[in-house]
Amino acid sequence: MKGYEILSLDELEPVPHHGSNLLPIREVLDYRAAGINGWSADAGGQLVPPHEEDSGNEELYVVVRGRATFTVGDETADAPAGTLIFVPPRVHRTAVAAEGGTIVVAIGGTVGKAFEVHGWDTHALADALRQSGRADEGRAALRRSMERRPDSWGLSYNAACFEALEGNGDAAFDHLRRAFDLNEAEVRGYMAHDTDLDSLREDPRWQELLR
Amino acid sequence: MNAAHVDELDRIELPGGFVWRPVRRRFGIRAFGVNAYTPSEAGGQVVEEHTEGILGHEEIYLVLRGRARFTVGGDVHELGPGQLIFVRDPTLRRGAVALDADTAVLAVGGKPGEPYEISAWEAMFAAVPAAQQERWDEAIAIHEAALAERPDQPALLYNLACMESRGGRPLDALLHLQRAVELEPRYAEDAVRDSDFAAIRDEPGFPAA
Repeated sequence: MKGYEILSLDELEPVPHHGSNLLPIREVLDYRAAGINGWSADAGGQLVPPHEEDSGNEELYVVVRGRATFTVGDETADAPAGTLIFVPPRVHRTAVAAEGGTIVVAIGGTVGKAFEVHGWDTHALADALRQSGRADEGRAALRRSMERRPDSWGLSYNAACFEALEGNGDAAFDHLRRAFDLNEAEVRGYMAHDTDLDSLREDPRWQELLR
Repeated sequence: MNAAHVDELDRIELPGGFVWRPVRRRFGIRAFGVNAYTPSEAGGQVVEEHTEGILGHEEIYLVLRGRARFTVGGDVHELGPGQLIFVRDPTLRRGAVALDADTAVLAVGGKPGEPYEISAWEAMFAAVPAAQQERWDEAIAIHEAALAERPDQPALLYNLACMESRGGRPLDALLHLQRAVELEPRYAEDAVRDSDFAAIRDEPGFPAA
């Protein structure tokens, strides 16, 4: 493998995610030092999905192309290309494109903690492929990420969600058991409310796992 | 809102001919390394020739504006806006020249598997304008602020000693140099040759090479 890689943000296939279009930079590069992803939209479209970073992530948004309107807390600002916006954890933020072809790159990490791949972006990519009838490609993306990070409970958990939504109970429970072994407390918390797993709840293996 | 345009960031011209536009320092980011760079003119350096061998950082260089000619591990690539180069191997030598005067490159970095620590070079670069104009108290204060966070960072201690020696604080310089050498013995050899220590080289306790 070469020690470096070149990527054009234009070449990334946008992944629909919570009403936005994710450009999965981190997943494609397998970047391991911080979270980094892009968001693209045409004029009036949602760039950054409305959210807070509950996990304690600091985030920097960089307008790479076009123009965005950012709302952070109760402030709204025009952000032309070249603008950098810093948002601390637990502050609500969203952005809308003010021009066609706008791209924003978001970089994130938690102070005092090594960056961990939880795989939300991998899951977004896999799920978008699944929903567009390309489940095999989605599964391959998840498998590739799990091979890179066999110790990531989040990736195994997301693979369980993927297979549950596909109706593959056996594969879903295999992934769920793996996630459970890696981080029981977190997985129990998510299992309680995650509708992605609804097809598994009546299966005797569900109670067996929670016992 | 805590926002700034890349052109509004501080502009620190460094000896390598490139201009450092501090991003992490501007926003007080502590979770990852991030900075922007611009050239002093078209054809000038925009990313310093360097490796990340010591820090072990994985770095991404994203062209925000203009065009840049990157050389990575001896390979040459021209990148335009919205293109990035990810240097996974920290030991690869990399650098870039700006092909347009308004080129701007964003660099993101950190060491996989470890919490981000503010790199010592940031304080050293931040102190360059003060040091060039011999405003030693200001240069010293920048180093002291960085050392408050990383008290045993040998490069910071060494550089602080340089500033103190030049700034007429020989005792402080000697103490900080001794501590730097204690933590990183190779600095003893550097100190012997370093003209910054001309004022204290003959003092008792100056580290022997």
